[in-house]
Parts: sequence; C-alpha cells; structure tokens
Amino acid sequence: MWSIYKKELKTYFLSPIGYIAIGIFMIMYSIFFYLTTITYGSVDTGNLYYATARYGLLLMIPLLTMRMFSEERKSGTEQLLLTSPRSVTSIVLGKFFAAVTVILITLVLSIIYAVIISFFGTVNVPTLLVTMLGFLLVAMAAISIGMLASSITENQIIAAIITIIALVAPWFLVDISSIFTSIDLIDKFMKFPYGLISIADTVGLISITVMCILITIVLIKRRKAVK
Amino acid sequence: MIEVKNVTKKYGTTIAVDNISFTVNDGEVVGFLGPNGAGKSTTMNMITGFIEPTKGQIIINGNDISKKPRKAKKEIGYMPENVPLYYELTTKEFISYMAELKMVKRNERKQKVEEVIKEMGLEEVKNKLIRNLSRGYKQRVSLAGALIGSPDVIILDEPTVGLDPKQITEIRNLIKELGKKHTVILSTHILSEVSQICEKVIIINKGKIIAVDTPENLERMTKEQNGISLIVEDPKNKMDKLKDKIKEIQNIEFIKDNEDGTKQYIITTNSDIDLRKKLFEILPKEEIVIFELKKTETTLEDAFIKLIDTTKQPSEEENKKSKKKSKKQQTEEKTKNENNNINKEIKTVKEDKKEEKK
Repeated sequence: MWSIYKKELKTYFLSPIGYIAIGIFMIMYSIFFYLTTITYGSVDTGNLYYATARYGLLLMIPLLTMRMFSEERKSGTEQLLLTSPRSVTSIVLGKFFAAVTVILITLVLSIIYAVIISFFGTVNVPTLLVTMLGFLLVAMAAISIGMLASSITENQIIAAIITIIALVAPWFLVDISSIFTSIDLIDKFMKFPYGLISIADTVGLISITVMCILITIVLIKRRKAVK
Repeated sequence: MIEVKNVTKKYGTTIAVDNISFTVNDGEVVGFLGPNGAGKSTTMNMITGFIEPTKGQIIINGNDISKKPRKAKKEIGYMPENVPLYYELTTKEFISYMAELKMVKRNERKQKVEEVIKEMGLEEVKNKLIRNLSRGYKQRVSLAGALIGSPDVIILDEPTVGLDPKQITEIRNLIKELGKKHTVILSTHILSEVSQICEKVIIINKGKIIAVDTPENLERMTKEQNGISLIVEDPKNKMDKLKDKIKEIQNIEFIKDNEDGTKQYIITTNSDIDLRKKLFEILPKEEIVIFELKKTETTLEDAFIKLIDTTKQPSEEENKKSKKKSKKQQTEEKTKNENNNINKEIKTVKEDKKEEKK
C-alpha cells in the first residue's frame, strides 16, 4: 500500500491536479473569508469550512478522483498493477489515502486564516479542530464515492460527472423523500461547525466511506473474472 | 515452471480459450504463435493473473495463481502488449516503482534498479520523462519493468512490435540471453523470430492448441513433398517429357520464362526422395543445360499456415496421439481433411445457387 500511496501522491504534484485542487480550496475559502469574516468582523471559522465543503469539494473531489482507475484502465497500466504481487485492497487503499492526503494538506494550509483571525479576536480552537475533522470525514466519503465512479468507467469525464451528480443529487432528492438525507454528505456536516461531534453523523460518513471502498475492491476483483 | 491445466476462458457465450493445457519447464524459451485473435494475449493475461480463467488451473513454480496470487505473481515479470507506462514518471522513477510493486527488498532496490538500467542500455534516458522517449526506448523501459527483481518467469507479449531492425536484433539477443537464466514465454506473429529464439513453439488458433513442438520438428512434420527449384536452358522443350524418364517425379510446374532465355521449373517428389543427383545425371543427356538447381526449403511459415488452415483442428490429446502415428497416416488424414473441406465448399456453393434460384 505504501509504495502505491507514495507514487499516487507524487503524481498529484507532478501534474497540475494537486495544485489546482489546493488552489480551488484556497480560492473558495478566501472568498467566504472575505464575505463573512471580513465583512461582518466575525471570528466564526465553522461557517467558512461549511461553505467550502458545500461548494469547494464539488470541484476538488472529481479532480482528485477521476483519474484514479479510469486512466490506469485506459492506458493499460492497470495491467502492471494487477499483475504485481500487491493485493487489490492495498492498491485501492493506497490511492484512497493519497487523495485524502491532498485534502489534509489543504486543511493544514487553512490554519493560516485561523492565525489571521487570532490577531483580531479569539479563535475557538476545539471548535476549529472539530470542524476540520468533520471536513476531513466529508471529504473522505466524497473521495470514496469518486473512486467508485472512477473504477466503473474508462472515461475520466464520465467519472467526474458521476461524482458531481452523486454529491449534488441528494440536495434536491431530499424534497422527494427524507430518506435521501442519509446520503447527503453536507447534511451530515451541519453539526461539526458548532463544535459537536454527532455519533450518528460520524458513523454515517464513515460507513459511506467504507462501503464505497469495499464496493470498489469487489468491482475490480470481479472485473478480473469477467474481463 | 509453468503448468497450464485445462484452462478455458469464456466471454459471455464466445469462447476465447478452449480447454488448453501445456507446461513450460525451467529455462525454456517458448514461443506462442497464432493469428490475430487466436487467444494468445488472453492466455498470457491469465498466466500473469490479470484475468481469471473461467475454468482450469494455472500453476507457477508450484503456486496456483488464483489461490496464492502473491507468491505466484512474485515469480512473474510481465511486459504487456501495448507497452503501458506511466508517462508522467521518469525512466528511473518508473523502474523504481515497479521494483517496489514487485516487493524488491528495500536495501537491494537502488542497486537492482541501476543494474537493470545498465543492462537495458537506458542510462542516457534514465532521468527523462517516459512521455518524451521514442518507441524503442519505451519498449525497453517496459522490458526493464518486467525484468526488475529478476523473476523466474518472464512473459513478453509481442516484444518486438514497432521496433527498428537494429533494435529488434538487440531485443532478440537479449531474450536469448534471458533464456539462459529465466523461463521465457513470448508471443509474436513474426515467425523468423520464433525459429531464431525459441526452443519450443506452441501454436494456437481459435482458442485451441494445435501444435506443441520444436520449430525444426514442426517444419519437418508439415513437410509432405520435396521441392526442387530448377533453372534450365531447354531449346528442344524436352522438360515436358522428363516425367516419363524419371518416374519418381510427382509434378513438374513451369514457373516463368527468364529474360536470358532460361526457364524456371519446380519439381516435386515424395518427401523421402532426393532427386538432385539423378537430375544432374539425366538432364545433360537430354540436352538440357542446368543453370541453377536447389532444394526449396519448407519454413516455419509454411508449417504455420498449414496448421492454421486445417480447419478440423485436433485437440492437444489427439495431436499427441497423431504424433505417434506414422507420417504416412498423417498425410492421409490431412488429404482427407482437405477433401472434406472441398466437399463442404462445393455444398455451400450449391446451397448458394439454390438460394439464388429461389
């Protein structure tokens, strides 16, 4: 897993993708920083993460995940991976954690804003950390969804579109039936910015992540038998 | 050692590989031959564990590839067909990554990567992005990726496609060299390559193995007639009557008139008769001047085409049995097959005509 993780992370920053993903985060975050923090002079950071999670992740996640398996499949490098002694599980997890690491980097960079705020007021550090944890969990769930999308198609664009639809659709589907709140990642993020770690939401996000990773593993293994 | 036992691969209802079995012993260089779509790549993909067979077993050095994939895959170096590479990495990075994937020990890794780079002549391009390399270099990088960690079994899917003649000879020599230490399976449809490099040939067509033998034996096996190519000056047109003089001759075929007034013929006889001596003695007596006289060689190409063309392919077991039979019986069977084919063709033509009438 480690070798695949290292290579994937390196690839993010050999191509512009890693930088663009981080850039999107910073731009989104800065815009909301200007609109809320500076305009109203608030010290609340939770709002910033909430808005960035809602709109920033929509662009960041497909960027990070669309190539994961689609490109390997299209260029045939999948053959190199799957004929190596590494297990499918370690390949999938390696790729997953590489994408998670990019998100972690953005979170670390976002601390700069908290530092800026701390010059003018007091930042509630525990709340900030809980919010960041929530953001990470939401991002992980979104990455796993994107990864699953990438593993079912050879086309990166289709993978990206599936990911965006999977992230956005629950917002509107909620109007049809309240069942769909259970797959709405942003809905599960609501309580974190208030400094609350809701067990239900945490478990919900983690289960979505684990489920998508498992399905990805099963799908890739299954394709070996069908292909 | 590679053991392939009764392996079948189905895609939906189409059968890509149909119940094939063969073994490749340690240190053998085996050529996998077949027309396009015969199931070569599918078989190789199954041996390397990239896809799973629908039925059957593949055992690499005692480890079943589906049951103990980790152990079995460690023994294999695979160069896939279309040379897949990570274009965003440099040559050295790619080979190091392959070394990591192949679980080469950390302390040996650097040294082994350097060794392979040297061995494959990649030192000039080791810090270049693979994206910018020429086709020949890409091929070599891919081969280096297969060789890293010196696996026991090396599987090469069409290793010389797209290379220039110089590179082809280089790669061939390299494969020969590899054959001394490793077990090598390579697929190709360049036949001269096989007769140069391989000790054993497996010919596969429509998912079935139709022959397993040495290249020389295959050439001999499929040879039914001896051919003699003859260029003569024959002012009195006595060549036509030669058949009466030498009874062993089966056929005299006129090929062409040459500009200098000579004529070219091909004389065929049964495979156990060599007429060259007799021709030398008799032709001058008939006032025919010999300009050139040579035996026509049957090549692996002929053998290949002949084997592929016999539409009723015997399965491997039957094939083994038939090897034990005498050559005469074999030729008889073949003519029977050919007759059957002709009959079939006639039937289909008749049917076509009927349809037209309707």
